[in-house]
Amino acid sequence: MGNALQLLLQAARFLLYGAVHVLLISRLQLFDVGWCFFYLGFLLFLPIATPIVVMLVVSFLMGFSMDLFYDTGGLHAAAAVLLGYLRPWVLRILTPRDGYDAQDAVNIHQMGWQWFGVYLGLLVSIHHFVFFFLELGSFSAIGLTCLKILASTLFTGVTMLIVQLLLFPARRRR
Amino acid sequence: MRNLLDFLYRYRGVLVFVLLEVVSMVLFIRNSAYQRAAFFNSSNAYIGRVLEVRTQIYDYFSLADKNRALATENAQLRQRLYRADLAARMPDSLAAPGDTTGLRLRADTLRLGLRPMPTRLVGSPLIPARVINQTLRRVDNYLTLNVGAQQGVLPGMGVLSAAGVVGRVRQVSEHYATVTSVLHSKTNLSAKIRRDGTFGTIKWLGEDPTHALLDYIPRQNKLVPGDTIVTSGYNQVFPEGVLIGTVDNFTKEPDKNFWTVRVKLAANFSNLTFVYVVGTPPRAAERDTLETRSGLRAAEQEGGRP
Repeated sequence: MGNALQLLLQAARFLLYGAVHVLLISRLQLFDVGWCFFYLGFLLFLPIATPIVVMLVVSFLMGFSMDLFYDTGGLHAAAAVLLGYLRPWVLRILTPRDGYDAQDAVNIHQMGWQWFGVYLGLLVSIHHFVFFFLELGSFSAIGLTCLKILASTLFTGVTMLIVQLLLFPARRRR
Repeated sequence: MRNLLDFLYRYRGVLVFVLLEVVSMVLFIRNSAYQRAAFFNSSNAYIGRVLEVRTQIYDYFSLADKNRALATENAQLRQRLYRADLAARMPDSLAAPGDTTGLRLRADTLRLGLRPMPTRLVGSPLIPARVINQTLRRVDNYLTLNVGAQQGVLPGMGVLSAAGVVGRVRQVSEHYATVTSVLHSKTNLSAKIRRDGTFGTIKWLGEDPTHALLDYIPRQNKLVPGDTIVTSGYNQVFPEGVLIGTVDNFTKEPDKNFWTVRVKLAANFSNLTFVYVVGTPPRAAERDTLETRSGLRAAEQEGGRP
């Protein structure tokens, strides 16, 4: 697969995740306290070997485009950039005993339930924590915010899981 | 220069991250006035807390002045209250035969023993009377009133003073009536504690005209000195809720299942002058007869029935 093709594919994914989020998912609400951050799927499922700078820039672009739609200035961008920065760390923590293979990807069938669960849970909860407390601007309504974080983490996590199970090819495990 | 580039390359992740975060935050904060306000507000909250503590400290130094000011204000308020209390007070006396103090208020409600009583109720009017004879130091004490059958007094009616329960009419002549007072060895007055409604019986032991005994209060009940004891309304003599007295002290006796409660009687029998005879409510005679026939009344003698 050539670099250009890879670039094109990722650009298409960017647009797809962004469009689906803005057009469909952004209106969904779970009991007034949970929202689905569908666009994070794009960042979470980027190739494992994505360079850090590219990762950060792409995160910023994705977050900033969401900010344009939500009219929130740089809120989504700030949280997304943090996610992009922490993703390599989490990947490093979760490195299998003999390192990542060249064809490894963030794929539930390839890496297993456990790996994927920790990866998803860690990154999504950190992102949501930062996002909702930034949105709040203080630590005044902690209870409600924690509820929002919890509900949104569950919502986003389950959605990502569904995306994985539906769309990602079930290759034979190593 | 090369070192610098090396450095930049090595820490490119952190640098780009910080750069992008700063850009995001600047965009974010400049975008919304709310967030700006929140930042200022949170800093204000910390400063406000400090100022609050400082005020608390300064307050200690002005406590004496504040106390004085409050005491003055309290005195003024008490004066006002006292007047208001007098103006709103319910009359506690009616003109009685033989009363030489002149014309009194023709009130239609009197406050007798904490309970408002209608004075002109058809069927059971309140009959004002004057005590013209009384014993106090005997085992069985009686009063004589200057009202009789002509005023509508019947045997068995209750007698109250403004302070509380006095006794029960025993015999009636044309113009006079004798009353068995609460200070009688056979007194058996159904009472209850107003605070929690526990029922008991008032008895008089014969030595002290200011105190009576409240019996049959179970030992597990909590008592408080000063508890108000009122009539229960179980008998036909007194309406419910008329003050009898207040709990003075109480002891547990090892061989009894009940508290031994000494009650300070509300009515001061040593200077009783004006009292009121309470009419029996309608159908009381019917109930009396029924309860006597079914045996309920056999052991119970109420209001000091001789």
